[in-house]
Amino acid sequence: MDVKDRLIAELGSLPAIVNLVDQRKRGYHLEVLLTPKIIRDFSLLMRRLDFYLVFVSAVHLDPEVEIIYQFANYHGPCRTLARAFVPADGIIPTISDIFHGANWHERETRDMFGVVFSGHPFLLPLLLPEEDADLKPLLKKAAALKSAERIRRIAELATPVAVDNTGKNNPEQN
Amino acid sequence: MEANTGGKHSFVLNMGPQHPSTHGVLRVILEMDGEHILEPEPVIGYAHRIQEKMGESRSWPGFLPNTGRLDYLSALIYNHGYVALIERMTGTEVPLRAEYIRVITSELNRISSHLLWLGAFLLDLGAFTPIMYAFDDREQILDILEDITGARLTYCYFRVGGVFRDVDDKFVERTRAFIKRLRGRFKPIYSDLVTTNIIFIKRVKDIVNITPEMARRYGVTGPPLRSTGVCYDIRRNEPYSIYPELDFEIPVGTSGDCLETYLVRVNEMEQSLRIIEQALDRLPSGPFRLKVPRKLKLPQGDASFSVETARGELTYYMVSDGSDVPYRLKIRVPSFSNLSMLKELCRNMLLSDLIMALGTLDLVIPEIDR
Amino acid sequence: MHVTRTLPPELIRIVISVVVVVCFTFLNVLLLGYAERKISGRIMRRPGPMEVGPQGIFQLLVDGVKLVAKQFIVPSEAGTLFRIAPLLAFMPVGLSFIVIPFSNRLQVRDLDTGLVFMLAVMSLNTFAILVAGWTSNSKYSLFGAIRSVAQSVAYEIPMLLSLLSVVLTANTLSMRGIVLAQSPVWYVVVQPVAFLIYFVAGLAETNRAPFDLPEAESELTAGFHTEYSGMGFSMFFLAEYTNMFFVCSLGVVLFFGGWSGPQLPYMDYTGIIWFSLKVYFLLFIMIWIRWTFPRVRFDQLLNFCWMYLIPFSLVNLMLTAVVVKL
Repeated sequence: MDVKDRLIAELGSLPAIVNLVDQRKRGYHLEVLLTPKIIRDFSLLMRRLDFYLVFVSAVHLDPEVEIIYQFANYHGPCRTLARAFVPADGIIPTISDIFHGANWHERETRDMFGVVFSGHPFLLPLLLPEEDADLKPLLKKAAALKSAERIRRIAELATPVAVDNTGKNNPEQN
Repeated sequence: MEANTGGKHSFVLNMGPQHPSTHGVLRVILEMDGEHILEPEPVIGYAHRIQEKMGESRSWPGFLPNTGRLDYLSALIYNHGYVALIERMTGTEVPLRAEYIRVITSELNRISSHLLWLGAFLLDLGAFTPIMYAFDDREQILDILEDITGARLTYCYFRVGGVFRDVDDKFVERTRAFIKRLRGRFKPIYSDLVTTNIIFIKRVKDIVNITPEMARRYGVTGPPLRSTGVCYDIRRNEPYSIYPELDFEIPVGTSGDCLETYLVRVNEMEQSLRIIEQALDRLPSGPFRLKVPRKLKLPQGDASFSVETARGELTYYMVSDGSDVPYRLKIRVPSFSNLSMLKELCRNMLLSDLIMALGTLDLVIPEIDR
Repeated sequence: MHVTRTLPPELIRIVISVVVVVCFTFLNVLLLGYAERKISGRIMRRPGPMEVGPQGIFQLLVDGVKLVAKQFIVPSEAGTLFRIAPLLAFMPVGLSFIVIPFSNRLQVRDLDTGLVFMLAVMSLNTFAILVAGWTSNSKYSLFGAIRSVAQSVAYEIPMLLSLLSVVLTANTLSMRGIVLAQSPVWYVVVQPVAFLIYFVAGLAETNRAPFDLPEAESELTAGFHTEYSGMGFSMFFLAEYTNMFFVCSLGVVLFFGGWSGPQLPYMDYTGIIWFSLKVYFLLFIMIWIRWTFPRVRFDQLLNFCWMYLIPFSLVNLMLTAVVVKL
């Protein structure tokens, strides 16, 4: 049983929605939709199955901020993307004691989005200077803010978008 | 800073943003007891340019030069990740010749990055000569790449749908001559002068002990991970481009110390030469670029693309709302995770060994800070 | 007051020769600096200084002028001895040339205990580095000074022991006597181990790579002379090269037969040519070693001294004593 199947089997025990995804089109194999309450249990599961944390980041949506976690495994291809929604300026439990690499990723997410990770040992600015701790540069202005439906995949691609210009020797240079 | 190890006569030494050995603007706050470091605390953010915000306000031709400035030493590989991500999202097919050219130039870039790392690593050790020899080889690569890409360091050569300019026979000839030359120099210069030198070995053997468990906890990838024995390389595990068709090995070490990481990188250079040779032999004719509109509408949804840079795994993650400008672009760089390991890795170490550890991790600070 | 007595001729001779020796030392240091830069350049596949003068021979002069013209910056927190430390570095080495026999008749003063005098003077160098590092009131400088003191103190012992072997073989402590005692065969053949130990200890005493931790640029941003600029820095720089020259001169006197060599006219005075050639040969090896090897870590350095050099030199000394007795 390879890593992906094992993970799907174990994820059955959590109240999460698991989607199998076409890796060639999306770049990851599994998508897991979580709530902040079960994020720590999910991380413990990932740790037990020998995954490593690729990144923790966020996407500012209307009305809630979506926190994304990507995990991968050294031993078998199983890139997993987990999503959890928190309100803006909301609080989500930290996973930095489970995956020590999350320490810096969560600090950066807090710098950029203002999301507070409760239980983090040292949530001070990482990339921004201390005086700009409340700058939250990656939060979008109201005009640019979109809701979750506007960014979800609506249909698989049917036709490629490129134009073949085999006849030309020097295509227009950008 | 975090809880002080009280009770000892400790003082704080600041390896400040300006330091000959940190190779970039990295500040490490060292709490020291004599020559021993109690705890190092890296402070980053001095080169922060908020690239991710820039990724949200430009369509793909606007942001592409930025990717070369993230990690300037493997700029082509960063280019590759970005254009391949857009190609994945839009379903663009890339001509085979372009894929081969991408792999050849990426591997040349990888070699030049490793050569610079080797020179700088040995310079930190106090050996002033090998950096000159390494840069001599590196100049050859830079000359070859300059002819086709137009740049020496921060390349912007790939485009969505292929590469910017075709390679000609002169490039193929020069690259073959370079492969032969570098192969001939591995033994007399890098092996005899450096690797078998007893002073060098005593300085780097058993210095830093990365375990696979520690690497997994911090998300470490690249040569520091492979030196512990874990054979994880994106080119093998989640293959992209034409890597599945090429025959090459992934060098792994055993004990995760500085010497093993050094050997992994030197062997990676040899494997890259192998890849380039095979790719040159098989280079097909055909178009090198498919024309793609500048304002390319990205379909709604998200996608991720991972590549293996000289330092580890680079992952781009993009969320699009249907326009030509991405809604969110997340860049996950290898040095970020590698550096976060420093605190645990270098507890109770000598100052000289901290320099070795920083050199082993092969950091490029602008990519950490983005 | 009427000075009817003339100065004793011996005093005049000594004063003149001291002046000549100091000038000779300075010139040699200039030449050595130029040689180092050219040789290091060639080792690194580059030509070295080429701009100033034909093949760059005036480079060091011009550098000296530049350094003198710079402002001597004193940090506000520096101690009172900050300005004196460079002089302290430079003085003892100049002193020590008094007893070196450059040729049969070219020696300022032949002391009966010339060797002891030289070793005593050599250890004053450590003092200057300590003062420089400490009064700079900077952590990096202090680090460099501490490392240097530990290193110098440790490596003086094998140096002393290896030189004692030579003394036992030559049966005299005076420098001239040692050179004359090497008539059939040079001591490098009789005491090769002692020579190797002396050379390695000499590298460590002069803070040259692979033992150049006190000025490890990549770790300590210049170590004990971080805070010095202009003339102060150039004094340390000169002192290091003079020290190198001195250590190699001592090596030549003790192991390579001083001024001896094939006969030249006026050998009593032209012996200095052979002397200089041998000294430059040793200096070339020192420079070569610097640009080839990486730096040794500090605890490995001390380990090497206490665990390997001292036992070997002790054994060598005992064997020499036994052989001489027989």
